[in-house]
Amino acid sequence: MADMFDGIVMAEQRFHGEGYQEGYAEGSHIGIAEGRRYGALHGAKIGSEIGCYLGFALTWHCLLQKCTDEKSSKKIRALESLIGMIQKFPYEDPTYDKLQEDLEKIRGKFKQVGGIF
Amino acid sequence: MPEALSLLCRVPAHPESRCWALAWSPGGALLASCGGDRAVRVWGRAGSSWTCRAVLGDGHQRTVRRVAWSPCGSYLASASFDGTTCVWKRQEDGFECVATLEGHENEVKSVAWAPSGSLLATCSRDKSVWVWEVDEEEEYECVSVLNAHTQDVKHVVWHPSQELLASASYDDTVRLYREEEDDWVCCATLEGHDSTVWAVAFDKEGERLASVSDDRTLRVWRRYHPGNQEGVACSGTDPTWKCVCTLSGYHSRTIYDVSWCHLTGALATACGDDAIRVFEESPTSEEAQPTFSLTAHVPRAHSQDVNGVAWNPKEPGLLASCSDDGDIAFWKYQRPEGC
Repeated sequence: MADMFDGIVMAEQRFHGEGYQEGYAEGSHIGIAEGRRYGALHGAKIGSEIGCYLGFALTWHCLLQKCTDEKSSKKIRALESLIGMIQKFPYEDPTYDKLQEDLEKIRGKFKQVGGIF
Repeated sequence: MPEALSLLCRVPAHPESRCWALAWSPGGALLASCGGDRAVRVWGRAGSSWTCRAVLGDGHQRTVRRVAWSPCGSYLASASFDGTTCVWKRQEDGFECVATLEGHENEVKSVAWAPSGSLLATCSRDKSVWVWEVDEEEEYECVSVLNAHTQDVKHVVWHPSQELLASASYDDTVRLYREEEDDWVCCATLEGHDSTVWAVAFDKEGERLASVSDDRTLRVWRRYHPGNQEGVACSGTDPTWKCVCTLSGYHSRTIYDVSWCHLTGALATACGDDAIRVFEESPTSEEAQPTFSLTAHVPRAHSQDVNGVAWNPKEPGLLASCSDDGDIAFWKYQRPEGC
């Protein structure tokens, strides 16, 4: 007797449950898409920033090739250090544990090198 | 106990303004102060009092937060909220600004000269520490921008004899830096404070460091070299710093500054409760677990927060302090009996 009414009595709870499952699935789906978009945008921003530093460093490195005085060799060494840091950076691995730390080091190096020019 | 630290003289150094910091010249004869009035003042003894010998008033557009003398005593550096650091050269008739170091994105909070005199360090609210090198032609060049801290950096200080730099930050840590293959790296992070670390000071040998914080404690850290006999682990060739003493319960507000006397070993603190305190190592203190006791406490040393304290480098027991009340006070410290 109780089972007959069970379906009706528990209907609300069942619908809540089903609704929740559907909503969760849809939410995850949208979340992944949004995350991918955000990741791509953020990654592009960083890429653009680092690319800018690399372009700057490579250009000046090229321009200073002919200079052999002590001051210029110091500048060249600083540029090479920055270029090295940028080239060593693991661009394909977003889970690299020292990502933020290395990025800050690159930014710091660029600030220092930028000050020289 | 009140007799241990007695007032010698009080000077209204930066009227209607805060006096933010003090620095004794290496010879101990001059005291530089700086403040919210955007000026740096240099004070010299005149009998039993102190008079203003020079006013460096046109170097900065905003508050001057810290001043530091070069080891040779010929240069004075001033760090300002206007984002620049000025270097002043001592002349016969005053001081002349010979360089303005730019680069920080916002307020510069501290400046310090390395013992060699050829390096300068600055730190800022922009979370970075900059190391500058000066050559024979008095040209300054930035040799490193260190982004190790995650918040506002409040203070930088050099080791007394080595090219080792320490910084204190709003991120609750103290960091140490050294040069490695043409670049500067963070070689140690001292964690333990629960809040902003406002200042640090090395002892005379440089094997210990004192740090003071918004958490109202003074911590003493000791350096352990690789292969040490106490068995403290070190990573690679870098020494490890361990907290060997924490003084809590003495200060009722934030501690803003600490000075470790290289003549007597006494530690002085500047506190937000307007008081100055002096601590000395107990006779029964052990190297691995040092103990310090409070040997002097002046509750109303100033009428507002005490921002800075500095022991004179040549005259034992002579202490200067500065405050939000704009005054500089000079004190005579005499170690109490039985300490």
